[in-house]
Amino acid sequence: MGVFDYIQLGLEAVFLGPEFFSLLGIPISITLAMVFFGFLTGIAVGSTPGLAGPMAMAIALPILISVFGFHPDALLPIFGFLIGIMKGATVGGAVPAILFNTPGTPDAYMTTLDGYPLAQKGKAKKALKLAHFSSVSGDTFSDVVLIICAPFLAILVERYLDLPEKTSLLILSFAFIAAVIGNSVGKGLISMGLGLLAAYVGTGEDIYPRLSFGTQELARGFPVVTAVLGVLILGEIFKSIEDLWREKKQNGQINVIEQSGDQNLHWADIKRYAPYIGRSAVIGTVIGALPGVGSTLAATLGYTAGRRQYQKNKNANDPNFGEGAPEGIAATEAANSSVSGANLIPVLSLGIPGNAAAVFLILAAESIGGFNPGPGVFKIPSSGVNTELVIAFGIFTTMFFANALNWTIGGYIMRSMGVMIRIPKHILLPIVLLLTLTAIYVEQTRMEAMWFAIGFGVLGYLMRRIGMSPLPFVIAFILGGRLEDTARQAFQATGGDYFFLFTSPVSFIFMLLALAVIVYTARHKKVQSE
Amino acid sequence: MQRTNVIIGLVFVIVALAVALLLVPFDVETSYFEKHRRQLNVGDSLAPTLAAAFILFGGLLLIMERCANTHKQLSWANFRYLLLFLLIILFSLSLMRWTGPLVTGLLNLFTADDLEYRPLRDTTPWKHLGFFFGGGFLIASLISLVDGKMTIRAVSISVIAIFAMIAVYDLPFDDLLLPPNGDV
Repeated sequence: MGVFDYIQLGLEAVFLGPEFFSLLGIPISITLAMVFFGFLTGIAVGSTPGLAGPMAMAIALPILISVFGFHPDALLPIFGFLIGIMKGATVGGAVPAILFNTPGTPDAYMTTLDGYPLAQKGKAKKALKLAHFSSVSGDTFSDVVLIICAPFLAILVERYLDLPEKTSLLILSFAFIAAVIGNSVGKGLISMGLGLLAAYVGTGEDIYPRLSFGTQELARGFPVVTAVLGVLILGEIFKSIEDLWREKKQNGQINVIEQSGDQNLHWADIKRYAPYIGRSAVIGTVIGALPGVGSTLAATLGYTAGRRQYQKNKNANDPNFGEGAPEGIAATEAANSSVSGANLIPVLSLGIPGNAAAVFLILAAESIGGFNPGPGVFKIPSSGVNTELVIAFGIFTTMFFANALNWTIGGYIMRSMGVMIRIPKHILLPIVLLLTLTAIYVEQTRMEAMWFAIGFGVLGYLMRRIGMSPLPFVIAFILGGRLEDTARQAFQATGGDYFFLFTSPVSFIFMLLALAVIVYTARHKKVQSE
Repeated sequence: MQRTNVIIGLVFVIVALAVALLLVPFDVETSYFEKHRRQLNVGDSLAPTLAAAFILFGGLLLIMERCANTHKQLSWANFRYLLLFLLIILFSLSLMRWTGPLVTGLLNLFTADDLEYRPLRDTTPWKHLGFFFGGGFLIASLISLVDGKMTIRAVSISVIAIFAMIAVYDLPFDDLLLPPNGDV
């Protein structure tokens, strides 16, 4: 069987799978229906202040597995729903970022910088339209690149990277994340170190689970969902409720901005913002293809590149980036959305997620079975069928279907979510808190998991209060075990060579780059601050 | 802001040193490298020590960095809020955990029954008791915290939210357990 046979099988698996219902005599498969429902859920969740795509994925996963069961037929419907959420939430994440200054997703953080000031100037709807257009453009571009390049890139990466190179690539990813996210390399490194440390609790190869203080509770380590949801979601909820509490105490009320003026996105606007969208789409796609480096970095780099270009071209009266420049929204949204497609390259070929959403795709694959993200996915056997490759092309198909939904109805749905500004955040956030804790419990069925999540929530809260990004923590937590395992294997494979990271040229270059990115960013940020 | 960064940096330097010099040596059984069947392997101590080294390096860098950005500072007011918030959560989860067993205990006091919560935890309404009261208290009290007063509206919203969550998680699925029914 050739590549085109696999593409055909992937398409058939999605479009001709088990029928969910019939529309005008046309059978609609369960996978398509799940993408649709996931997409609607994603936009609603992403658009709702305090909610986020990964959280919806976490809440949905145990329910989906209960519905579809633990067999390979469940993979595409479940992946379809999760991908729908991922796509919908990516575009919807801009809504709370613009309207509330609350990034619904971590990668929407940069959108707040210009989106919120623009909303404060009464241009919220225009900002939302621009965010949608930029987001969908970037997303579609990256999906096209994904389907063209993914199999070839995965094979290339796999061919040239052995265990030491994979270890150093992970270290390089960590260095990137720690250096670029946030405004302080020191804080990034601390956040990353804490994530690694948390990942190593209760694990190890010895019979005694390390760092567990001899307790049974810590001996099993921290479940991934408790750390991810705790630091990312609960930390934000803790902080947001305090902000609302203080705002209410100071002002006696929570402010709502009246919207006014031209809210339409004109053709002239699109032409003006297209260079920012195009540049960021390329940046996001390249970043997304790098294992372990996710959409937040892409958003940061896209935003930085956009700002540089903007400074050269802007008129004297135009607002600066960070003060409500629409170009800032275009640059950020195109970059972070273009990551989601390309991000599946390392997820599928190496099993390394670049963002929190990808983590849940891996969790789903691990939970259901029958699909092991790794080099085997893109191998074409000389005889027989590689079912994982069929599923991979099925996943690509669901992504394109979600994009089609996004282009056609996504904008209307997203814009209608402007109504979310009317939902009192202080009512929604406590409900989200309980919903998140319940989702954690449903998956773990032990109270201590809820306590762990609350502990991580406190950590996330404190990190935000001292201006430390929680994302390096989360990514380090997710990849910490993999880093150690790969390093162990590489060390053994090189016969116990203490310098295994420096013996091969590729690995040496990765390590050098890791050091360079830390030093350069630290110096660059120091100069900026001076 | 420089002073804040120095303090944060120092705290994490101390944390890193404590992890590397106290926690790892005393709570990890194998060293940095281990010889097993004449083959040299990476021991369990190496990874957490490297994590501590990242924290140490980050802390030192933070002390030296002049960047920072930020208008973000921790104050005692933040800690007071956090304490209040955690007390609400503590009480809510305790209510969630113990309402079911407490109600069965009370019923046993006033009736001739000899009820135990554990056999009842998969039956309505017992399985919803803890979630209803604990979860309801959590939502209502946090809404009230921001509102500055406990209102009927807050309580009503919490009741509706709890019913909605029960409808989503419990009614359609036999194999999903609402808290605290997996523990008791």
